[in-house]
Amino acid sequence: MFTANTTLMLVATFLPLLGALVLLLVPKDQRRVFEIGSLLVMIVSFLMSAVFWFGYDRASDAVQWAQAWNWIPSIGVKFSVGMDGISLLLWLLTTFIGPIAIACSFSAITERHKEYYIWMLVLQTAMLGVFITQDMFLFYLFWEVMLVPMYFLIAIWGGPQKLYAAIKLFLYTLAGGVLMLVAILAIYFLQHKTTGVYDFSLASFHAMAPVIAQQTKTYQILLALAFFIGFAIKVPMFPFHTWLPDAHVQAPTAGSVILAAILLKMGTYGFVRFLLPILPDATKMLLKPFLILSLIGIIYGALVAMIQKDMKKLVAYSSVSHLGICMLGLFALNPYGIKGGMFQMINHGISTSGLFLAVGIVYERRHTRMIADFGGLSKSMPVYATIFMIMTMSSLGLPLLNGFIGEGVVLMGAFQAFPWAAVVATLGIILGAAYLLWMYQRVMFGPITAVNEKMDDLNLREVLYFAPLVVTAFWIGMYPKPIMDVMDAPVRKLVEQITPGYHAAQSLAAQQAVAAKLGMQGMTAPAHHEEAAPAGHEAPVHEAAAPETHGHGGGH
Amino acid sequence: MTGFAQGLLDALLRDTHLITPQLFLMVVATLMLWPGDLFFNRNEKHRWAPITLVVLAITAALIGRTPDGEGFSRMFRMDGLTRGFEMLCVLGAAATVALSVKLLNGLKQQTVEYYALILFSLAGMLFLCGASDLISVYFSLELMAICIYILVAYLRDRATSVEAGVKYFLLGAFSSGILVYGISLLYGAAGGTTTNLADLNQALALTPTTSNLLVFSGVLMVLMGMAFKVAAVPFHMWSPDAYEGAPTPITMFMATAPKAAALAAFLRVFGAGLHGVSSDWVLPLCYIAGASMILGNVTAVRQESMKRLLAYSSIAHVGYMLLGVLSGDPRAGAQAVWLYMLIYIVMNTGAFAVVIYLQGKGEGERIEDFKGLGRKHPVLAFAMMVFMLSLAGIPPLAGFFGKFYLFKLAIEQGFVTLTVIALLTSAVGAYYYLGVVKEMYFREPEGEAVPMGATSVFVVTLACALVLVATAFGPWLVDWASKVTWV
Repeated sequence: MFTANTTLMLVATFLPLLGALVLLLVPKDQRRVFEIGSLLVMIVSFLMSAVFWFGYDRASDAVQWAQAWNWIPSIGVKFSVGMDGISLLLWLLTTFIGPIAIACSFSAITERHKEYYIWMLVLQTAMLGVFITQDMFLFYLFWEVMLVPMYFLIAIWGGPQKLYAAIKLFLYTLAGGVLMLVAILAIYFLQHKTTGVYDFSLASFHAMAPVIAQQTKTYQILLALAFFIGFAIKVPMFPFHTWLPDAHVQAPTAGSVILAAILLKMGTYGFVRFLLPILPDATKMLLKPFLILSLIGIIYGALVAMIQKDMKKLVAYSSVSHLGICMLGLFALNPYGIKGGMFQMINHGISTSGLFLAVGIVYERRHTRMIADFGGLSKSMPVYATIFMIMTMSSLGLPLLNGFIGEGVVLMGAFQAFPWAAVVATLGIILGAAYLLWMYQRVMFGPITAVNEKMDDLNLREVLYFAPLVVTAFWIGMYPKPIMDVMDAPVRKLVEQITPGYHAAQSLAAQQAVAAKLGMQGMTAPAHHEEAAPAGHEAPVHEAAAPETHGHGGGH
Repeated sequence: MTGFAQGLLDALLRDTHLITPQLFLMVVATLMLWPGDLFFNRNEKHRWAPITLVVLAITAALIGRTPDGEGFSRMFRMDGLTRGFEMLCVLGAAATVALSVKLLNGLKQQTVEYYALILFSLAGMLFLCGASDLISVYFSLELMAICIYILVAYLRDRATSVEAGVKYFLLGAFSSGILVYGISLLYGAAGGTTTNLADLNQALALTPTTSNLLVFSGVLMVLMGMAFKVAAVPFHMWSPDAYEGAPTPITMFMATAPKAAALAAFLRVFGAGLHGVSSDWVLPLCYIAGASMILGNVTAVRQESMKRLLAYSSIAHVGYMLLGVLSGDPRAGAQAVWLYMLIYIVMNTGAFAVVIYLQGKGEGERIEDFKGLGRKHPVLAFAMMVFMLSLAGIPPLAGFFGKFYLFKLAIEQGFVTLTVIALLTSAVGAYYYLGVVKEMYFREPEGEAVPMGATSVFVVTLACALVLVATAFGPWLVDWASKVTWV
């Protein structure tokens, strides 16, 4: 029963929705039932999903556990599901964050429990659905469905400006989503024109890439922009980020956690899954502006975070900066960059969730998030201070913790493709260390006030929901290979889709480099001096030229 | 002479079966007025509502049984398009009747005339759905509209109701004048031989280039007259006032059944009759559709009255549906419009049922009055939320499927800019629909919860269930829609 197969995948995905339907029947004063019930559902769903981590065939780049049922045959819509390594990682991240988000709400949510937990469960299914679908129509469906529960979560249980924040989130994302829909339909009809079939499947959209590449430049650029805006709003990239601070600050803690850990990843996932493989040429045409927006996001997010007085707002702007690094990695369009970007998504999901949870802890105790109201907390809350420290360090990229690996790999990729961009990004990372440490210093150290002295340290429940995050942060930081392995084959395929022949060229360059090295050795060797010389002359030229062209291949 | 009379009589008898539903409606409505009305005394008039519902059910069955065909000198044709839209009209009328009982009881305004007028106007709509000649289009439009003028002004002791009726009547009469003038110009341009839509299409193709301006003016005037009937911008001025002043069930009626019938006529006149001269009307209609979407949605944002909000939003929805009329493939266009209209009628009925329910409880129709409904009536509020989200086109609700088919078609036909406008304005639409949800769920209620009336509960629950079921069974709807076609 518990082998990784399509049925189990669907069960794990739809279990939260089922749980929500069951909870609907429970009378609304049964607070405990909702809390424990939804937690159990999330944990079971996570355990089921964990099976897939072990069952995933890391050598294959195919969509695994794929299956499709006809849904609306007349227009070619299938209920088509399956996962490759990229979706699997984000899907697992979602099931992993689910129980944590529920557990952190027990004391934070003080009214309307029934609705709250039901909406959380519905949201979970919608998010999981986005990652398993292999059909564009279904993808759009899940993408938009997600908005409704999120809207309610913010608008009912949020802060003072909740209504404004909720509607802003809703409308921004909806506007982006409909542009994406236009682009999807445009490709759908282009496909019908060229192949004569109506098909919404993701694979057929990927197969359209060469056809799209032959269309006019304007057409391609418009398509790419429609996708770009849709996803960039969700990520969010500068200048589409203005909904994010509002939504984060107003949302309840669990809402912020889910928003940061998963909803933002939908945007980056969209880039990886749709924009890059379907419109590689248009992406390359627009690469410079895309990169510049990512870099602005990195620096701007960091600078704005620096001056925040509200801890939650600070973490929210740090998200803008970190997601900028993700995007930089993806737009490097080489294996290191994309892997690093993917990695950074997962890291951001873990460390930023941790930070939001940490902010939520003090907010629950003091009902304020202003940095100025705190100080010296490390004395009254030592366990909290330690966990906060780990999360801060993980977020700013300290070696041995997860953030370091992601940022390191992104910078490697970016440096290969655009050295100048990597330099700017490094600056953002330094700023990141500055604002996070500065916040930590102001909150944790210094003189302690009477109120803060009386604050309780973490209770068992709180330690328990931080524990998985801390463990994972260390695990990824010390041994990232398993995660790298999972995305190895799909990223390889993706890079090949973006730049056909990339790997062949790379391995050729590597061979030439080896040959050159041998030639050099031959040169220095006393015997065979005459024979080895010509090879030694030619090979360095190749060695210098080959990475150069590939590195800049994306830029033109 | 007797030969001619004999021939005429034979033709009439031969074709009568095509209009059985209409004849049935008119006969029954006449009988209801006299002698039927004598059977019930003043306090029993509400019994007319169930009787009317039975009549409507029979009408629907008759429509289903009427075979395809063309008759009355090719003035009326029965085909998939006619049948599909006729069903929508009956559905709209039935919902209206079901929701009227309580309200009219409360106002002590139960009369047989109310129900008879609905039936007469429905007969007009059924004629309009199948009208295949400009003349029959015109007279069925008038039959439908005149009954509705009276129904709008039905609460004659209320100034707003009378004002709405007069306004609607004056502007309606004016627009009919424009329509007739347009028809006469087209008749002249086509050589003064025919007003039949199919023949007209051929005749207009043969007109010399010197009469281009004549054709253009004729087409434009017909377009204006028709746009007026469906309340598309800039010919929408009457609709918010008429909607607000009319008794709420009649507001709902106006938003559903006559709109379905007028859109059927729109599709047939422009898709069949003026298809050949589409270069004359596509661009103006694009502007009309775009303006309807933008103005309808943007203006709805600022409304405080729920009825006005729904009025402006219905202008926007008409804007979307005009995308289907624009379609270069009239059949696909008709199917998409039909599907949209079907879903729209269900959603709208549900939303109006909630409004009517609240009015029946002595609460107002302002959006503020929805405050805290989520606490007071969880079921009602949930249903209203489903209607609002569905009207906003949030997937996976039925409203999204309706929009999806329309917009898909529009992109296929190359109206990309217009579709982008439609999608972005529907995002604006989400703002005011969510405003209602916001009032219901995020504001604290005032006053105590009151038990609900049985009819309203039934209509609301049914509509909500239909929206949810339609959500799950999108493919079936598409299959149904594919039957809405004509040769």
